[in-house]
Formats: sequence, C-alpha cells, structure tokens
Amino acid sequence: MINLKINGKEHNLDVEADVPLVWVLRDYLGLNAVKFGCGIAVCGACTVHVDNKPVRSCVVPVGSLKDKQITTLEGVESDIAAKIKKAWLDLQVPQCGYCQPGQIMSVINLLETNPNPDDADIDDAMSGNLCRCGTYLKIREAIHVAAESIK
Amino acid sequence: MNLQKVNRREFLKATGMTAGGLVMGVTVPMSLHAEEGETGFHPKVFIQIAENGDTTLYCGRAEMGQGISTALPAAVADELEADWSRVTVLQGDGDKKYGSQATGGSRSINEFFIPMRTAGAAMREMLIKAASQSWGIPESDCYAELHFVHNKKNKKKLSYGELSSVAAKLPVPTKPALKSKDQFRYIGKPLTRHDQDEVVVGKRTYGIDTKIPGLKYAAITHVPVYGGKLKSVDKTGALKMKGVVDVVEVERIKSPFSSLGGVAVVADNTWTAQQALKKLKIEWDLGEHKGYDSKTYLQDLIKNVESPAEKIFSRGDVDKGLEEAATRHSASYTGGHLSHSPMEPMASLAWVQDDSCEIWASTQNPQQIQQVIAIFLGRKEEDIVVHVTAAGGAFGRKGKCDYVHEAAAISKAVGVPVQLTWSREEDMRTGYYHSINAQHLEAGLDKDGNISAWLQRAAFPSIGSTFNPSLDRANERDFTRPIAHPYGIANYKLESGHAPAHTRIGWYRAVYDIFYGFATNVFTDELAQKAGIDTLTFLRNIYDNNKDPVLAKSASRCRGVLDLAAKKGSWGKKMPKNHGLGIAVHYSYNSYLAMLVHVETKGDDIKVHRVDCAVDCGLVLNPDIATAQMEGAVVMGLSLSLREDVTFRDGAVVNSNYHDYPVLRHNEMPEVHVHFVDNDESPTGLGEPGVPTFAPAFINAIYAASGKRYRSIPIKPMSV
Repeated sequence: MINLKINGKEHNLDVEADVPLVWVLRDYLGLNAVKFGCGIAVCGACTVHVDNKPVRSCVVPVGSLKDKQITTLEGVESDIAAKIKKAWLDLQVPQCGYCQPGQIMSVINLLETNPNPDDADIDDAMSGNLCRCGTYLKIREAIHVAAESIK
Repeated sequence: MNLQKVNRREFLKATGMTAGGLVMGVTVPMSLHAEEGETGFHPKVFIQIAENGDTTLYCGRAEMGQGISTALPAAVADELEADWSRVTVLQGDGDKKYGSQATGGSRSINEFFIPMRTAGAAMREMLIKAASQSWGIPESDCYAELHFVHNKKNKKKLSYGELSSVAAKLPVPTKPALKSKDQFRYIGKPLTRHDQDEVVVGKRTYGIDTKIPGLKYAAITHVPVYGGKLKSVDKTGALKMKGVVDVVEVERIKSPFSSLGGVAVVADNTWTAQQALKKLKIEWDLGEHKGYDSKTYLQDLIKNVESPAEKIFSRGDVDKGLEEAATRHSASYTGGHLSHSPMEPMASLAWVQDDSCEIWASTQNPQQIQQVIAIFLGRKEEDIVVHVTAAGGAFGRKGKCDYVHEAAAISKAVGVPVQLTWSREEDMRTGYYHSINAQHLEAGLDKDGNISAWLQRAAFPSIGSTFNPSLDRANERDFTRPIAHPYGIANYKLESGHAPAHTRIGWYRAVYDIFYGFATNVFTDELAQKAGIDTLTFLRNIYDNNKDPVLAKSASRCRGVLDLAAKKGSWGKKMPKNHGLGIAVHYSYNSYLAMLVHVETKGDDIKVHRVDCAVDCGLVLNPDIATAQMEGAVVMGLSLSLREDVTFRDGAVVNSNYHDYPVLRHNEMPEVHVHFVDNDESPTGLGEPGVPTFAPAFINAIYAASGKRYRSIPIKPMSV
C-alpha cells in the first residue's frame, strides 16, 4: 500500500512502489492533466510539482514520494497560476493543447522563483518541454505577459 | 452544395440531440472526395438555433490543433449575425452522414467556406422574414444584428431564440445574399477559440485520456520490420507478473491501415503492461525487408536519379535546350525518412462485445476506423461506433488507424474495454514514414541568365506503395506539384527514378512538397549564383517568363509572396560578417508561400535570427490562427532541416525516442513575422503549405552567411 499526498488530499493505493507517478495519477486517480509523452524525461508533457518543484512524473517511482506534496495542474491554486492561465487564454497559446499542462507547470515554477525572467531564463526553464505544434513564440510572449501582470 | 431544413427525427438520428427551433443541414460537394453513387440528402454539418437562442454546429472534421473548429463556425456565425458567445461546436462521431471526414490536405477551409456562409446567410434571412411577418412589416424594414432581428422603425427587437420555431416553418431561400468583405464581423478577425479554456485547466480529453468503467490497460510491441510476422511467443514470464491480465497476439489483416502485427499485454495499469512486454520471449519472422538499410538505400536513390529514369511529364525539348544553353548546372539533393511524432502517442479505447463495438480515438479519419474494424470483426461499418476525441497532434499520422485496430483486437480477445497506449518507442518505430528521397536537377541558362531548360529527376518510395506494394517508383500523381508549378521555363522535363518501398510510407504534414520545395529552391539559388544574378531577381524572372495565360495568375501570386517576403525581411540589405539571408517560394495546397530566413553562422553553429513568412491563402479567416499555423510550420521546418531523420538498419528503425529523434525546442525558436497578402481570392488551407519553404530558405541563408552549400537535409543528423 502506497500513501500519496496529491493536491492536498491523501490517497492510499494498492500499487507497486516502482510504478512511475504519471501512471498512478492517470490510470488510478483519473488526474489526466498530466500527459504521457516519452517515458524518459525528455519531453516534459508529464511535468507535475513535488514539494513545489517541477519533476517529470514519468521517471519518479511512487515509492519515492513518501511525505511529499504532489501537485498537478488540477490542484494548482496560486495567484501566479491564475495569472498564467489568463495570459494563456488571452494570447490563445494552445494549438492541440496536449503539451500545455506540462508547459504551464514549468512556467508556474519559473515565475515563482524568478518573477521577471528574460528570454535566456525562459529558454533555460522551458527547453525541457517540447511542443510539436510549435507554440513556442506564444508561450514566450505569454510568460512575459503573465510576469508583467504579477508585478 | 445543398441546404435543407432538417426535421426532428432526422436530427435526432444524426446527432442524438433533440431538435428544437431552427435546424439546417448543409451538404458540401467534395472535389477530391466525391462519394461515388451517393444519393439522397446527407448533411455534413448541422446548424441549430434552439428556442433559447443557443446556437450549435455539429461538425465532422477533426480538430488536431489547427483551429478548424473555430474557423468554420466563424463563417456561419458571421453571415448569421450570431453572437459568437452563443455559438458552440460539437464534434461529430464517425459516420457517413457527415460525408468524408478525412482531415488532411489542408482542404477543410477550402471546401466548407462558401457553403458555411451560405447556410448562415439563409438562416439569417429566414429569421428576418419570421420577424417581419410577426410585426406585419416588410422585410426591408428589419435587420439582423448579434442574435436579434431589429425593427428599423420603432427600435423593437426579437431574439433569434424567439424567432427560431417560426423561421423553421419558412422555405429555405435558394440564393441568400452574402456579406461583402467590409461587412464581416468575425471573418478575418482574431477570434477566441472555443476549445482553449479546458486546455489550461487540463480538462481537454484526448484519445489517451478516455476512460470507461471496467477498462484494462494495454501496451504493445510490434514486429520490427515491415511485412514480418510473429513466429512464436513465450508468455510465461509476463503472465506471472502481478497485475497482468493476459497476453494477446495481434495479427495484421488485409488493410493498409491495420496493425503491423505484434504482441500486447493487458494489465491493471499501463506501466505494468509495458514492463510485462519485456518479459515476453518473442521470435519474429522478419520477412523480405529485413535487409533494409536507409543509408545504403539513399545512395541507391542518388544513383537512380543521376542516370535517365522514367519520363513523367515534359514540355518543349529539354535535351536540345540543355545542349544549346550558354551555361549548365546540375546538382543532387536528398532528404531522409521523417516520423510525425505527435506529443500524444498512438492511443485508443475500444470495447468490443458480441453485439456492439465502441471506439474512442484521436483520429483524422473516423470512417476509416469503421471500415477497418468492420473488416476485422466481419460486421457492418455502421455497427462500429467511433467517438472522435481531441487529437494531441497528428500531422498526418492519425489518419491511419492501425492503433485502433489493435485496441479492438485486444478488447475482443479479453472481453473487457481496453485502453491501448503505445510507448514513445513503439510510436517512433511503427510509423507511416515520410518518404526518403533523392532528386537530381539539371538546368541550362541562356546568355541573359534565364532558364532555358530544366530537368528534374526524383526518386522516392510512393505513398501508393502502402496500398500497392508492387509500386516501385513514384507515379504521375506523385509529381502533381512540379507538373503544376508556374515556372516560365519552355523546356521542362520530369522523371521518376526506381524507388521500391521497404517500410510503410505515409502523409506527413506537407508530404512530398517538403522535398520538392527544398530541391527546387536551393537549385534556383545555385543557378542565380551561377548566372551572377541576385536570387530574388532571378526568381521573379522565372515567373515573369511564364506566358501561359492559364498559369498567369498562379505565377503572379508566386511573385507576390516573394516580393512581400523580400520587402518585410529587407532583402538586399548589407549583412554583418557571417550573417546571411535566404529566400524560397512554393505553391502547394492552393496557397502561396514565401519565406525569408536570416541566419548567423559560427563554424558549425547556426542560429536562425528571424523568419519572414509571406502568405497568400486568399481571404484570411482568422489571422491569429493563421499566424499560429505559420509559426508551427517554421518549427517543423527548422526541426526537419536540422535533425529529424529516421534511420533504418537491418529492416528496423534505429531511433527510439526524442533524444535520438530530436525535435525543435524552446531555445532554438527564431523570431517569426507573418505577413498576409490582402486580396479577394477564396480562402485556402494553411496547415501544410508553410512547411516546404522553410528548409530551402534556411539552406540558402547558410550559403549566404558562410559560403557552405548543403544539399541534404537534415544537416545535423544524429548518428544512431
């Protein structure tokens, strides 16, 4: 039995300790904002927060998450997150939208740790999140807009 | 097109929704997909104004990120004078009643634009007539605006909801008046997409997300070589694992869109299923393509285009033209296989029962799923229910339903609903790949530097080979684009070289135009250098030299986008050392594109600073979505110019994931400026036409910056 704290709630699940977090979130808890993309932490689609830091949930075994706070896009509530979502909608960032939950989770951490990122900071924080439709320019612009609105 | 009111029973049957108010059905003639022998009335899109005013479109085309579910409703809403906030779009299930639902070829906008507007205009006129009758005044004293019909005389108004049932009793106008361009309210304006809110909260449901009670999770491993099959499998180790339900063998059936063949594991979660696959002991019979080596094969293709091949098309006398030329030049160009690699890997939920079959899938072609599953189960197509979910990227890959066939086969075997998710590795290795290709171009220039003769030989495995494996070279249809391109060259010949397929070949965003656009535009840049003429001037001359009245407009639109890109990107300006500009133009999917790319080179490091895209797609329906499509095209174009390269060795794909099939990331994204030609031409598609011009403009810019001429893409392939 594994105990997980996800979005402020405790879950006791009968699952093996080596199962990566992404599959527990998706297959057991129906928290589908987290996406499967590559399984080897190179695409960022499965990004969630563990103790407020972005992690690739496809390579984090649930057995390693005892007493950790896990947050998915469904559970983010901060003012910063709200401003980011608003910028995403105002600029109509998504195309297919599949990578966007992971992108947004990375951006939340970026703006929480660096309220005024320049383009190089954005490249550093975001280059682990792939978008095959090509929304990179809109993402960059939306990050600047969100940062401005948080000030 | 055909426009008809739809009664309650028809509407319920078609949409599963209750009819009320005014419901219209629109059939659209499909130039490319005319259903043979189609009779009767088969609406493709339904538009309903309910009695409370809610306006809904039921649309059969797939949304895969390109904004089609916004652009088409906007055309209806504009003519209808609807309030955009009252309009919703529902995606139709797979069903022949929608006509062809195949989404691809950038056709949706093309085929639906006028019919959608006409439907909206007809409904508006019916609503106005209903109001005029209720007030007892002439229609000319009424006007429609934002979901109300207004009385010009006394400022009274009636809502569309109030009028809908009365309007439904009126005849459908045969020739409703369409708005003029200056009257548009939504068309040509940035309009909020209806499907974005759910994305930012993670609630958008893709094929991979669909759940129903009692489902189990499946993973699959495929035969590594096209045409191979399973010899034996020892399931013992997998079946012993905790959480494993069963191991299922999936066989290829007689359809180009069926599974390639493989072995699947069904388990309590996807991870367990994936791990159990590793415990299977499988022996494959690899079949006739087990020797396929794409590097060697490419060398064969080059040989095949550097010697005479099969004539596909010619005008004038190329041999004589070349002989008499003042200057001659020739060069060969190549490109590798590409994988679509959408962010959402292939995934589908299927539940096959004795008397029913229900499918949920990200798909570009739900009717194909019905056909393939019907063959597999030996049932009727209409008995296969296909729910179309949002697609997490597709780019052509999700127009082939092998993964859906597999989900159905597994569900049938285990008797429960099955959600099949491919791993990224399976997605990479079990594709329908973009054709590997070689081209040889040879041209003669007259003393003034005009092209007097042009010979173009191409060798690439045709998509047709996926349907007909004996097809061993590209045919006339595969040469549609160079045949139609409005070059003003009197002596012109196209030849097709031997190129049998050793894997499944499929449509990848922009398809053959990627390599046609690449080779022709790099070659013209080389010819311009040879002639000592500025490349822009040289290209303009080619189009100006086209004296064929049929092609005059096409040639002038090519020139138009060239001039616009050149102007916006400051072609001809003095560049710092190691900086260069490159330009390219291409005509595909009825749209005209030119790109001007600015690069900086430092040894092998290449940085793209800025891209100017000039687009002539006729009337721009939604500039925001159109711009996004161009930015996406630049991302894909740069990605495939730099690194995307699927390598085959011993018949199998060597690449496995995004680390050895790298696609473009944030930090490499250049500045992109998109400029639209303002004209009154009919709107044409944009999903694909942006891709082909990037690579050649980029390669030409590298040459301008460094003097280094690349003739093969990608220029920085990973060694895998």
